[in-house]
Amino acid sequence: MFELDLRSRKPIYEQLVEKLKQLIIHDVLKADEKLPSVRELAQQLTINPNTIQKAYRELESQGYIYSVKGRGSFVHPVEKDANEEEMKKVREELKKLFSEAIYLGMTAEEIHALLYEVERGKEDDSSTATS
Amino acid sequence: MIQVQQLHKEFEKTKVLNDVHFHVRKGSIYGLLGSNGAGKTTLLRTVAGILKQSRGEVSVLEENVFENESIKQRMVFLPDTLYFLPHYTVRQMADFYKEIYENWNEERFQKLNELFGLDVNKKIQQFSKGMQRQVAFWLSMSVMPDVLVLDEPFDGLDAVMRKKIRNLIVQDVADREMTVLISSHNLREVEDLCDFIGILHKGEILLERDLDDLKADIHKIQVAFKGDMNAALESELNILHKEHRGSIQLLIVRGEEEQVTSLIQSHQPLVFDRLPLTLEEIFIYEMGGVGYAIENILV
Repeated sequence: MFELDLRSRKPIYEQLVEKLKQLIIHDVLKADEKLPSVRELAQQLTINPNTIQKAYRELESQGYIYSVKGRGSFVHPVEKDANEEEMKKVREELKKLFSEAIYLGMTAEEIHALLYEVERGKEDDSSTATS
Repeated sequence: MIQVQQLHKEFEKTKVLNDVHFHVRKGSIYGLLGSNGAGKTTLLRTVAGILKQSRGEVSVLEENVFENESIKQRMVFLPDTLYFLPHYTVRQMADFYKEIYENWNEERFQKLNELFGLDVNKKIQQFSKGMQRQVAFWLSMSVMPDVLVLDEPFDGLDAVMRKKIRNLIVQDVADREMTVLISSHNLREVEDLCDFIGILHKGEILLERDLDDLKADIHKIQVAFKGDMNAALESELNILHKEHRGSIQLLIVRGEEEQVTSLIQSHQPLVFDRLPLTLEEIFIYEMGGVGYAIENILV
């Protein structure tokens, strides 16, 4: 389903959370779809099952997935404004990046153009995640 | 699952373990790290019930482990120097294990035969060192242990075999909640496998923590300011280590990621990069902080 970079400095658990979030946000994992079990994923990626469990717990607490006892974890149908907490984080991140971009001499038009590009799906980050 | 309290171990007059405490939860993969001569092997042998502690408590599966056969039925200890009965073939050795361990799983043994692809009718001592280690894993995993204690398990194995064996371990942890205790001085090896880390140094446990937590609150930061770094900022950050590289400063900072980031951002840095640390680096700086030189920890 996806690969992790074991040589990256990022903790594996963080990588997992991010990868799964991406898959959910980009609708690769559809609402109410079952996620691979901890066991399957541990075997596939050769990583500690406890790490996967932890990542699932984190995703659950952030509202991306829900778990049904004895059946596994499922993708939570996203309600647009339910993710207020996440939106705040993203907004902060954007602000940071914008200020950096402006500092580096990027103009508002260039930022607009980038946004437009992303909206049109030209710069598609999800392609790496879905392959 | 594995509980060690106030453990002391002396050989004659040499103190090897001094007031060791540690705890391994069920289904966890615990990495015991330390320098040579720190007492790792002695600790593992005590946990395996081979050595008797001088003082203190060592319990596995809630029972005192020393000379406790019912516990040893459910536990496998793989020492760093392997031992096989002389002139035994793999099959003969397997039959020996079968007699001893009630939970011996012949089906598993046959299945693993395919994975390792070694000849069961060959004398084990004719195998290479790495192959002998494979045989040891093969036998151990066929016992279906609840607790697996491994002393330097990956020594002498090639990359493919290492991955296969890690995969085996991970499967059993996921399936049966097997508990694993691994000693190693190869930090990179344990970094992606373990969820809990304990560091043993000179017979004492220096640090015992969840690996992700350990990583989450220590950061490597590259930062540059117009002019010098603000003294106020410097005092607010918990800096473990500081280094100048031209106008850029390299900091090792302890603290929560968000706090550290916002604190530095508020001083308008010209350059600001945050990198998570590798386990190796955490070692160097944490130990440096306690006054242990890097040579003592990394081998």
